[in-house]
Amino acid sequence: MGRSVSGEKRKSATNVINPTRREVLALAAGGLAAVAPGLADAAVPAGQLTWGVHISLAPTWFDPAETPGLITPFMVLYALHDALVKPMPGGPLTPSLAETVSAAEDGLSYDFVLRDKAVFHNGEPVTAEDVKFSFERYRGASYEAMKARVAAIETPDPRRVSFKLKEPWPDFLTFYGSATGAGWIVPKKYVEKVGDDGYKKAPIGAGPYKFVSFTPGVELVFEAFDQYWRKSPSVKRLAFRVIPDEATRLAALIRGEVDIVYSIRGELAEELQRTPGLSLKPVNSPATFWLYFPDQWDQKSPWHDERVRLAASLAVDRSSINQALTLGLSKLTGNANVPDFFDFYWSAPAPPYDPGKARQLLTDAGYPRGFEAGDYYCDASYSNLGEAVLDNLQAVGIRAKLRPLERAAFLEAYGKKSLKNIVQGGTGAFGNAATRLEATAVKGGVYAYGSYPDIDQMFQEQAAQMDHKRRATILQKIQQVVSERTMFAPIWQLAFINGAGSRVGESAFGLIPGFAYTAPYEDITLKSG
Amino acid sequence: MRRYIARRIGYCLLSLFLLSVTIFLFVRVTGDPTTLLVEPGASQADLDAIRHQFGLDQPLWVQYGIFMTSLAHGDLGQSFYYRTPVLELYLSRLPNSLYLAAVAMALSLLIGVPSGVLASVRVGRFWDSFGKLFTLLGLSLPSFWVGLVLILIFSVYLGWLPSSGAGTPLHLIMPAFALGWYFAAAHMRLTRSSMLEVLGSEYVKLARLKGLPQSLVIAKHAFKNALIPVLTLAGINLVIMVNVATVVEVVFAWPGIGRLLFEGVTFRDFPVVQGVVLMGGAMIVIVNMVVDILYAVIDPRIRLGS
Repeated sequence: MGRSVSGEKRKSATNVINPTRREVLALAAGGLAAVAPGLADAAVPAGQLTWGVHISLAPTWFDPAETPGLITPFMVLYALHDALVKPMPGGPLTPSLAETVSAAEDGLSYDFVLRDKAVFHNGEPVTAEDVKFSFERYRGASYEAMKARVAAIETPDPRRVSFKLKEPWPDFLTFYGSATGAGWIVPKKYVEKVGDDGYKKAPIGAGPYKFVSFTPGVELVFEAFDQYWRKSPSVKRLAFRVIPDEATRLAALIRGEVDIVYSIRGELAEELQRTPGLSLKPVNSPATFWLYFPDQWDQKSPWHDERVRLAASLAVDRSSINQALTLGLSKLTGNANVPDFFDFYWSAPAPPYDPGKARQLLTDAGYPRGFEAGDYYCDASYSNLGEAVLDNLQAVGIRAKLRPLERAAFLEAYGKKSLKNIVQGGTGAFGNAATRLEATAVKGGVYAYGSYPDIDQMFQEQAAQMDHKRRATILQKIQQVVSERTMFAPIWQLAFINGAGSRVGESAFGLIPGFAYTAPYEDITLKSG
Repeated sequence: MRRYIARRIGYCLLSLFLLSVTIFLFVRVTGDPTTLLVEPGASQADLDAIRHQFGLDQPLWVQYGIFMTSLAHGDLGQSFYYRTPVLELYLSRLPNSLYLAAVAMALSLLIGVPSGVLASVRVGRFWDSFGKLFTLLGLSLPSFWVGLVLILIFSVYLGWLPSSGAGTPLHLIMPAFALGWYFAAAHMRLTRSSMLEVLGSEYVKLARLKGLPQSLVIAKHAFKNALIPVLTLAGINLVIMVNVATVVEVVFAWPGIGRLLFEGVTFRDFPVVQGVVLMGGAMIVIVNMVVDILYAVIDPRIRLGS
């Protein structure tokens, strides 16, 4: 018997035409949730808000088909486009253009029913053909992984789409609805008419804002789309100005030239906090940072000894570092790789700071005077964090040299597994606990220099497990083992610190858990008067 | 004369060819750009797909061949990051850079040349010392720091000028000053030394012996000749201002070519870096060629000698 999916509570379904009582209630609630905001905010959009953006805006971000494995394009996608399911305040896989989503018991198909109110900016309805077309033309991140698993896409009528999989894939919705741009829908007829290049110059989507103008790397302007299904946006125009320098962004915010700024760190964040009329808007980001010991599989290395790895973890004064570098806003969790809002997250005990115990562990391991730990590699843009951690390690006798590498060089070397000694790693990639563990802790992972057979076995087991609860149990067990073995020493879950000016009512920072930018845009408001 | 011009054009083409090889190889020495186009942890398949899309999986000589073939058709390639033709990006930023460079250059000449002249005729006195201090500060203070101090004073504290961006003459004042100051100092130093050299020459002494007023000696006899090396330097500086005012453009969020270059370097956007460097190089080569030809027209000994 079929059941509908709301948020990330995926349940199985074989027939959405004969719903259960629970389904009817869920649908009714979903419908109300969709309509109610529109009723509450029926006012005509007015005013303009301007963003000071930290990174260059690229036209590829207008086309969901080219979404790379970066979080930044979603800053634009949330305004211009809409997806069948996407991370929203209600959950990481909230039905959006889809009214309902259901998964078959055998895990071999996912069915979506589209909202009849959903239309593109040119007034044409969003249809099943658009959904199929959008998926088929998708060539962004995880493109091969998705296409290899989808056997067919059926469109029995204009409002129904069914994805048929070659074999059960429990992460289908995670990839389709949050980790990639594959589930964001573009108008088939329009794209075919103007071509890919033409589409990037004048994109049309089904999101809350319409494209107005764009100067590559300089400025992007949107205008409210009154017919957006969820609600009519409150702010008439949105302008995104690229201001690469952090201090200049803050100056622009103080002067009122922009209303919202992204990425203000350290002393500048303190200044922002002190300035009357401005407000600090930290966001709990998906970027986790850790210390990795790539030599732990080498029996001759001190890092092979679990006590040494634990000593390194106990030596790090996370709280002081957090206070100094991110105003105490980053999250200190004991889970090194998985952010706390990801599916299948295991809540690890908070990592303690105990230099005395760290020294004792080193003595027990045969290093009463500490040891020369070689190099400490990090991405140069986070070398301030590296310096602080290195000081802590030094204090207990783990003596290492800081080796900051330019970001690309660091990621390349980390991925090619050519780093040694200590690596300060981190990632902000979308996904769930499984995708994070796959990259960092499991055999063959992009950043896994080695693995443990029991972890690999458990990982394979969960990959074939369609039962959400059982899968969660296995994945949480893996995280527990990773933590207990101190495969990594957790540092923090980085806070992405932003600012808002006095004109902003609801900034929408943090409404979507883990999303670093302002969204949903239709929820953003200006202060009245 | 025709042979001389043909030879100069040949040298220009050779210079540009060598520049194209150098920049093509240099950008690739920096490493693989694909790692910056995805989040850390992306799959190998995704990285390989990006490499294939940009042709980075081809041997270097094939990549260079494609690059040169496109260049011969006036195509600088397509930006990895913007997925837009580099020439289109370059031309969209060029007017802003020309505007900024023109004003900064005017400012640097208006400040640098008169103060250089003043320092040269008042050697060892107040204006000379002031000029030396001005030069020292202009050449040693980093322009990002000057820019931030200007923003802090005129934008944040006084609220007179916009902090960043472009669009009105007010937006131009601070970046033009921050950019122009460094070059004003350079122009002042060269004007002073050039003036001192000319003021010590025989014909100036003769003019003075003839009883010409000091102002006439300086303005008519000395200044004109002293200006030649200053203007030559200013020509090259103008090209530099247009193409590599990177720091100033980033600090003031000025949408010019320098910022484009910064973005290209930041994202390892090889086609953008190659395109901007080649365009800048081409400008310098062409300016030099025109100057060489003009010298040859003015002084036949140059073309005959060569």
